[in-house]
Amino acid sequence: MNALVLIAAMCAGETPAGKVEFSRDILPILSDNCFACHGPDEKARKGKLRLDTKEGAFKPSKVEGRAIIAPGALLQSELIHRLTTGEAGEKMPPEKFGRQLTSSQVGLVKAWIDQGARWEEHWSFLPPARAPVPQINSAARTANPIDRFVVARLEQEKLVQSPRAEKTTLLRRLFLDLTGLPPSPATVRDFLADNSPGAYEKIVDRLLASPHYGERMVWDWLEAARYADSNGYQGDGERTMWPWRDWAATAFNDNLPFDQFTRWQLAGDLVANATQEQKLATGFNRNHMINGEGGRIPAENRVDYVMDMTETTGTVWLGLTFNCCRCHDHKYDPIRQRDYYQLFSFFNNTPVDGGGGNPQTPPIIETFSLAQAEEKKGLDRQVGLEQAGLEEGEKKFFPRDKGKTAAEAEAAKGFPKEQKEVLAKSAGSRGKAQIELLAKAVEKTNPAHFHLLEQLKKAIDRRDAFSRALPRVMIMEELTKPRETFILEKGNYEKPTVKVGTAVPAALPQLAAGAPANRLALADWLVSPGNPLPSRVVINRLWQQFFGLGIVKSTEDFGVQGEKPSHAELLDWLAVELRESGWDIKHMVRLIVCSETYQQASKVPPGMAERDPQNRLLGRGARFRLPSWMLRDQALAASGLLAVRLGGPPTRPYQPPGIWEEATFGNKKYVQDHGENLYKRSLYTFWRRIIGPTMFFDTAARQTCTVKQTRTNTPLHALATLNDITFVEAARALAERELLLASGKDDDAIAGIFLSILAREAKPDEALVLRSGLARAMKHYVANPGEAKKLLQVGETKANPGLDPVRHAAFTALALSVLNIDEALNKE
Amino acid sequence: MDPRIEAKLMINRREFFGRQALGMGTAALAGLLTRDGLAAGQQNKGLPGLPHFAPKAKNIIYLFQNGAPSHVELFDFKPKLVGMHGKPVPDSYFEGKRFSTMTGNPKGKVMLAPVEPFKQHGKSGAWVSSFMPHVASLADDLCFIKSMHTEAVNHAPAISFFLSGSQLPGRPSLGAWLSYGLGSEADNLPAFAVMTSISKGTTCGQIFYDFYWGSGFLPSQHQGVKFRSGADPVLYLSNPEGMSAPVRRGMLDDIAKLNEIKLKEFADPEIATRISQYEMAYRMQTSVPELTDFSKETEKTLALYGPGVKEPGTFAHHCLLARRLVERGTRCVQLMHAGWDQHRSITTELYTQCRDTDQPTAGLIRDLKQRGMLNDTLVIWGGEFGRTPFIQGDLGNRPQWGRDHHPYAFTLFMAGGGVKPGITYGGSDDLAMNVADKPVHVHDLQATLLHQMGIDHTKLTFKFQGRHFRLTDVFGKVVKDILA
Repeated sequence: MNALVLIAAMCAGETPAGKVEFSRDILPILSDNCFACHGPDEKARKGKLRLDTKEGAFKPSKVEGRAIIAPGALLQSELIHRLTTGEAGEKMPPEKFGRQLTSSQVGLVKAWIDQGARWEEHWSFLPPARAPVPQINSAARTANPIDRFVVARLEQEKLVQSPRAEKTTLLRRLFLDLTGLPPSPATVRDFLADNSPGAYEKIVDRLLASPHYGERMVWDWLEAARYADSNGYQGDGERTMWPWRDWAATAFNDNLPFDQFTRWQLAGDLVANATQEQKLATGFNRNHMINGEGGRIPAENRVDYVMDMTETTGTVWLGLTFNCCRCHDHKYDPIRQRDYYQLFSFFNNTPVDGGGGNPQTPPIIETFSLAQAEEKKGLDRQVGLEQAGLEEGEKKFFPRDKGKTAAEAEAAKGFPKEQKEVLAKSAGSRGKAQIELLAKAVEKTNPAHFHLLEQLKKAIDRRDAFSRALPRVMIMEELTKPRETFILEKGNYEKPTVKVGTAVPAALPQLAAGAPANRLALADWLVSPGNPLPSRVVINRLWQQFFGLGIVKSTEDFGVQGEKPSHAELLDWLAVELRESGWDIKHMVRLIVCSETYQQASKVPPGMAERDPQNRLLGRGARFRLPSWMLRDQALAASGLLAVRLGGPPTRPYQPPGIWEEATFGNKKYVQDHGENLYKRSLYTFWRRIIGPTMFFDTAARQTCTVKQTRTNTPLHALATLNDITFVEAARALAERELLLASGKDDDAIAGIFLSILAREAKPDEALVLRSGLARAMKHYVANPGEAKKLLQVGETKANPGLDPVRHAAFTALALSVLNIDEALNKE
Repeated sequence: MDPRIEAKLMINRREFFGRQALGMGTAALAGLLTRDGLAAGQQNKGLPGLPHFAPKAKNIIYLFQNGAPSHVELFDFKPKLVGMHGKPVPDSYFEGKRFSTMTGNPKGKVMLAPVEPFKQHGKSGAWVSSFMPHVASLADDLCFIKSMHTEAVNHAPAISFFLSGSQLPGRPSLGAWLSYGLGSEADNLPAFAVMTSISKGTTCGQIFYDFYWGSGFLPSQHQGVKFRSGADPVLYLSNPEGMSAPVRRGMLDDIAKLNEIKLKEFADPEIATRISQYEMAYRMQTSVPELTDFSKETEKTLALYGPGVKEPGTFAHHCLLARRLVERGTRCVQLMHAGWDQHRSITTELYTQCRDTDQPTAGLIRDLKQRGMLNDTLVIWGGEFGRTPFIQGDLGNRPQWGRDHHPYAFTLFMAGGGVKPGITYGGSDDLAMNVADKPVHVHDLQATLLHQMGIDHTKLTFKFQGRHFRLTDVFGKVVKDILA
């Protein structure tokens, strides 16, 4: 509902001023109040009336002379009669439905009918087109088309753009948004000194080229992809999907075009001459939970997994809520239960079974780094050498004619039958058990032969152990003989009803003719120019990342019940730009962060906190609390503790003792890492599904696909950033570095701490608070030097013994305070 | 402006600006209320318009028995079953029913009589077996529902169904809905607290998934706060080593001053929220240790809960903590005790389970009653389903007797909170196999619990993915007959 129209409607009694738009103003009312019984779901439909199609809505009423909706004629419109009557049996929606239209909503419906009742399709099902970029006559800064759409809207509302944010604010905002890490003090100084016109853009390009860009961008993708390091459910076995996680981060860094990103992840195995990398990418759809609970029925599990793949695809690319259609036709959107199972069918042809015992359920791929590939080659070579050596040795031990085997040699006479069978084989074709058998036989009689056999066995063991330790990533494969797909009654795997084919939802453009209807065709269809949804859905999520809210606030729902876009033309312009740029994500990011809209100050202009509390009109810069994982990374980076090594197996940083043990009755023990792994980025933290990392708040549960960001302010989060070892240790390390740099000058050390976290200098009133706080803490630690020593022992790095512990402790408290002030917790 | 919102605004104003006036107008503060789910972080006051009607109960204590206690052994006495011990399950009782893969088809299985004797108790004459002497002695305070039935046959989906209304993870749990709808009465403790326990030596514990107390799509501040038995009852509660209370208080004052400077400059109401968030964190740091300190409880009170009460982490300890939480304004306390999954331990571990939970349960109800708190506290005891009246295992091997999962009829009891005391509602058939009288579905129970809290279960909804979700999905009828 457009808030302004609503306000206008209330002001003018029941009659809204201005033009009522069906898709924006009326469809949401009908959908919310009528579609449950008069919508797309045929089984739930009452009185054979549907209001979600033009035919249904305009058909004649049972009452003589009336239509359900009669354009321009309120009195002849049955709908209005039903909405406004006082008669209990007639009134709609019925009392027991629980919801009623407000008088202003009735006013809107009336006005729409009065104005001719123009019917439109739901906006997101129409292909996006570039609207002309508005002309701006004011002095507003409009660096790129984004700004012109935004300013045009602001001007309509008689509002003005905010001034540009201060340079330091902007620098920190940009660093956090593009890499999730704060700028270093040196970078701040350089940037402040650089007054050239392209200074900002230079930083943008530098950050887009930084490997930390991919680490930041991939976080949201991991949440959408429900990535985790364990299977979930009872048992919660560990999996090794992290090479897929690293692949995804690298794909962002390499700026793999989003259409390819899509094709590889949904169907990399089906691409012609698929590479290892393309197969690895399909791990995306194997990130679902795996149920190993005793008593679970494998066939039921398998259906659950395919449903998860179907619904994840529906949310991530189409922004539609398919899950309702497991059981019935969608209540609001034109998706039938049949459409659901036809989409399900694309994912129903993998060899994945529902057995839960194996945490790496096939199909899988072994993955290794270049170094590991070399090592594997070396180990293979060693096995080969040992085999050759044995072959040579046996020629000596078992002299025989050419063309004969060792078993036929004179020396082999007297060997039991089984050992002879081994000797009959070449050294290279003997299994480990056979080698052992033979070794046992010759151990006493021929030590030289025994030695060679032992050497070979050891080489094989080493090679196999290496292979077992390689991460196995679950991937997608296609069965040669496709499974049949049926509509499942109420989603119950045991109740197949009608057989369906493989197809995309009927209400959307259809697959290209001629192509086999498989996952690759589905991926191609998603990124085809005719598909109205994915380009909008994807750019909207990207927008959400920078502005805190999407242009469509319901990032997970572009259907009729979803929110309307705040800037519909801007969204479409961006969607087309994304597609036409060749799905170039870095290009879109650059466009967004170089806009004046992005660069505005985030101070709330007078009156705007109540007029536009959520900043939907974008008349100021975004200001919102940083994700909890980024707060941890920020603390590590600002303190210099951050271990910058990219990728690799998951880490186990500090966590209060007993968390896993308590949740699993001691079956899973949290063995905390030491050294570098304590200080790697949050992205790499081991994600146990049944009990996620305790230091993160408001993150996705990593159980099913999540694309909507939430931000709450629970006191528990404050306790974590005040008391978690990571933060205390970071504060201590930061204090240490700045004390050493400041060589005895307290004010310099305070300034250094402030600069490291907030990328700016403290203002005089702030410095005053910090200085008096420091003095108070000093006084305390002078009186309690034992406490100072204890504080400096928090965390595994050692405090510099050259510093005065009292001072160091007082400065640690100060640094911890700065890490916890609102500005540090926010992107500003 | 709606007077309720106005009032809320004033409370917030006082909270935020108690220390000094900051010159920010009411208008700017209005923004606080229009953010998603009201401004997060400051004291949670619930939704305007709630409760929908005068509540019978202010608090809920849910004693959830994970693993599914055997109704056949504990409460649902069937003389016919005793007579049929060792005889085959009659076909007519299970046709068309679905059991877990451990049982497969009940055909060919034999009936198993309860292993302990039953007696009628109190004026109400409720049947309780000798497994539960303490609960039995309270029979006239309890309302037994013997016609519970559910849809799920495996633990996690079934527990999730009871606590969140959905077999799949991801929906808000009962406590989260209560926190969201009604808010908290405490400004220093969470609205929704959770504790988990298991009997020592139990071999059949079911994992406590955190979605059993999750907030689903509701703002995450409404998720249950887990109270633990370790050094920190709430995670990260303690100040770091070497940072004692005066230092911390000073730090928080500095943080608040710096935030106030920022608020003046930026006028972002979220900054005011931050100030309040940090204050509440500090209050929790002082109130939680007070909460978990039982030294002021009398020996007489402690004795009610049984010998385990002084040992952190036990069900008994948690029961007393539950009373103390409710006393201090926590809206919903969910205790979960695992180990009731008697697939082959009816004659062994079931005794341990009852020993560890029977007296604390009765003790809690008695304690609430003697303090006059039972009137507005609703206590619920029950598991996620029942257990088969027929055997799992071999009749000749008594030490390994077991019963499998059974969703078709089981027993749950309640006390206080405006529920009729001393009654038995509904019933199963003569073999405790299927519901025969006045069935109560999980959604009916949920509707009833919300009703007692003053909530119309059809009206407490949250729009997510285009749908108005509620705890009871599109089902649920309040069980009016059990209401006092």
